[in-house]
Amino acid sequence: MQLLKKLKKASPGWFLLTAGIIILLLIPNLNIIINLFGEAGANWEHVKNYLLINYFQNSLILVLATGLLAAFLGAGLAWLIAAYDFPGRDFLSWGLILPLAIPPYIGAYVYQGMFGYTGPLQIFLRNNFQLNLSQRYFNFMNLKGAIFIYTIFLFPYVFLMTKAFLAKQSASLLESSRLLGKSDSAIFFKIILPLSRGAVVAGSSLVMMEVLNDYGVVKYFGISTFTTAIFKSWFGMGDLPTAVRLSVMAMLVIFVVLFIEKLMRGGRKYSYSTSNIRPLSRRKLEGSRKIMAQIFTYGVFFFGFFLPTAQLLYWSFLSRGGRLMETLHFAFTSFLTGGGAAVLILIGAVIVATTARMSSNFVSNLLARITILGYSIPGAVIAVGVLLFMLQLDVAFSFLQTSLGLETNIVLSSTLIMLIFAYAVRFMGIAFNSVNSGYEKIGESYFEASRTLGKGVTETFFKIDLPMLKPALMSGFLLVFIETMKELPLTMILRPFNFDTLATKAFEYASDEMIYRAADLSLVLIFFSAVAIYLITHRRRRRKK
Amino acid sequence: MQLKINDLTFAYNKKEKNIVENFNLEVEKGEVVALVGVSGSGKSTVLRLTAGLEIPDSGQITIAGQTVASDYKFKAAEQREVGMVFQDYALFPHLNVEKNIAFGIDHLSKDKRKARVKELLKLVNLEGFEKRYPHQLSGGQQQRIALARTLAPGPELLLLDEPFSNLDAELKDKIRRELNEIIREVGVTTILVSHDREDAEFMQAREILMN
Repeated sequence: MQLLKKLKKASPGWFLLTAGIIILLLIPNLNIIINLFGEAGANWEHVKNYLLINYFQNSLILVLATGLLAAFLGAGLAWLIAAYDFPGRDFLSWGLILPLAIPPYIGAYVYQGMFGYTGPLQIFLRNNFQLNLSQRYFNFMNLKGAIFIYTIFLFPYVFLMTKAFLAKQSASLLESSRLLGKSDSAIFFKIILPLSRGAVVAGSSLVMMEVLNDYGVVKYFGISTFTTAIFKSWFGMGDLPTAVRLSVMAMLVIFVVLFIEKLMRGGRKYSYSTSNIRPLSRRKLEGSRKIMAQIFTYGVFFFGFFLPTAQLLYWSFLSRGGRLMETLHFAFTSFLTGGGAAVLILIGAVIVATTARMSSNFVSNLLARITILGYSIPGAVIAVGVLLFMLQLDVAFSFLQTSLGLETNIVLSSTLIMLIFAYAVRFMGIAFNSVNSGYEKIGESYFEASRTLGKGVTETFFKIDLPMLKPALMSGFLLVFIETMKELPLTMILRPFNFDTLATKAFEYASDEMIYRAADLSLVLIFFSAVAIYLITHRRRRRKK
Repeated sequence: MQLKINDLTFAYNKKEKNIVENFNLEVEKGEVVALVGVSGSGKSTVLRLTAGLEIPDSGQITIAGQTVASDYKFKAAEQREVGMVFQDYALFPHLNVEKNIAFGIDHLSKDKRKARVKELLKLVNLEGFEKRYPHQLSGGQQQRIALARTLAPGPELLLLDEPFSNLDAELKDKIRRELNEIIREVGVTTILVSHDREDAEFMQAREILMN
C-alpha cells in the first residue's frame, strides 16, 4: 500500500517512459563527473597553473555584476510598468521584453560596430567636429562592455518575473503605505523590493546562468571564461579530459550562483492572510515625473532593441539585401531545426509533466529539479557531456556492426540527432515549466472527473488533458523555439559538418568582420524571436480578457 | 449492502496526522446518506477514497459486494462504477453539453448514446441544451449537467461533494428540491458531503456527523 501511495495514481507505462527520459537527461551530466576521475589531459597542468584563476575571476565578475545590474534595472522597470500609468506604458509592458529577441552576441558586434573607429558615431564626430577622441572612450571589448551588453539584453528575465509577481499583489498594500505617509521611493525600497525579492532573485539567477552559458560575447570581446576555455581545449587542442575538468569547474560557479540564490531568497515566503485581493491600480503620472519615467523606460527600449535593430537594418540596406538565397537557406535550416527540436522536447516535457502530476510531491519535485538541471549548466559543458555519451554509444554500435559483419560507420556522433538531443538536455526544463504551469492552471478535478467516468489515465490524457493544455503547449513551444534558434555554444560544438544555423553563421560572419552579411542573418533571427515574444505576451493578454 | 467501509485510515502525507481514522460506514441500496462536518473533518476525503481518487493507508472498501480497496487490492477510479459530482462541477470546457454527458458512455452505439443523453437532459430538465458549452450555462445549470454526466453510465454509487456551496441562498432551496427529486426518481444510492446540517435535513438524508 505504501509504495502504491508513493506513486499515487501514476500508471506504469507513463512512469517507464518518464524514467527513460530522465535517465537520458542525466547521463551527459553524470558522464562529466565520472570522467573527472580519469587521466588528466596534456594541457591540464598548464591550464591549472596559469589560466584557471583568470577563468574564475572573469566568469565571477561577469556573472555577479550582470546579475546585480539586471536585478535593479529589471525590478525598477517592472515597478514603473506595474504601478504607474504614462503614455506608452501599454506598448512598453511588452516592448521591454523585446531585448530578449536580440541574442547578446549579436548585440555585442552591433555595439562594437557602431562605436568602433570606423563606426557611424566616430565618423560623424570626426567629419563634423574634427574630434579625434581617444579610443579608450569607445572601447566595448572589455569586461565593462560585456557587462553592459549582457545587462541590456538579458534584464527582461528579471522584468518579466517581477512584473508577473507584482500583478498578483494587493492594492491595499500600497494604499496603506501611502496613507502612512511613505513617499513612492520609500515604498519601492521598503515594501516592493523586499516583497518581490524572490521573483527578482529568480529572474536574476536566470540572467546569471545565461551569462555563464554565453560563448559569443566573450569570444568576440576576447575575454577568457570557462566557456571559451572549454572551446579552446576541445577545438583548439583536441584535449577532451581538460575540457571535462574545466566543465566541472564551471559547474562549481553554477553552484555558487545557486547558493547565492538560495541565500537571497532566504526561505521566506510571504503570503496574504486573505484570499480577497484587489490588484494594484496604476497611478497616473503627470508633469516632470511623467517625462522622467518616459525617458527612462523608452531609453532602455532604445538601447536594448531599437538602436541595434535600426543599425542592423541600415547595414542590411547598405549591402542591398546581401545574398538573399543564402539568407533564406539558413533561415529555413534554423526554422526546421528549431521547430523540430521544440516539438520533440515538448513531447518529452508533456510525458514527464503528466507523470509528475500523477506522482507524490516528492517525486514531482524531483522530476522538476532534474529537468531544469540542464538549463542551469552552461551549453559548452552539456556539449562535452553529450559528446562523451554519443561517442560511447557509437563504440557500442560499431562493436555491434562488426559482430554482424557490417561495415562500421558513425551512427550518432556529429549528426543532427546528437545536436537535437543536446537541445533537449538543455531546454527540457523550459518546456516542462510551461506544461507544468498549464497543468496547475487546469487543476485536478477534470482529470478526476474523467477517471470516475470510467476512463483510464492515457485515455483521459488524450481526451481531456491534451486539449485543455493547448495554450500552455503553444507558449512552451514558442519559448523553446526561440531558445534553440538563438542557441550558439551547443550548436557550435555539436553541429554536423557543414551545418549552419542563423545563429552560427551570423556569429561566424561577425567574427570575420563581415558585419553586413551578419546583419541580414541577425535580422531574420531577431524577427523570428520578436514575433514569438509578441505571440506569447498577446496570447496571455487575450486570455485574461 | 451497497457500500461498506471498514476501519478506513488515511493521511495526505506521513508528517500530518490522519485526516480519516478508523472510519466505518454502511449504506443500504437506494439510501441517501449525508456526511456533515466542519472543514478539515475528513468528509470530502472519505468521498475521494470511496471514488478511488486517493489510496487508503489501511482499511477496506466494498462497493456492491466487490472489494475495491484493501491491504492487497486497489481498484483504480475508472474501474469502480462510482459517479462523483465535483464541487466545481469539472465540466470539460472544450466539450459541449452533449459530449460532456456522453463522455462516460462512449462504449454505446451512436443511437443509444444519443437517446441516453436525451433521456438524461429530460431528467435534469434541460432539454435542448445539447449544443451549448459549459461557459454558456448558469451555475445551477452547470450543476445539473454535471449530475446528468455522472448518472449517464448508471453508477452503483453517486457521490456529491458540497453540492450547494457554490450557490447563493435564494437558488439553494430550489436546487436542493430539484436534486432530491432527481435522486429519488433514479433511486441511486447517494452519499453527499456538506458543512450544513440543513442540507441533510432538506434532502431527507441519513445524517452522519464527522469531527
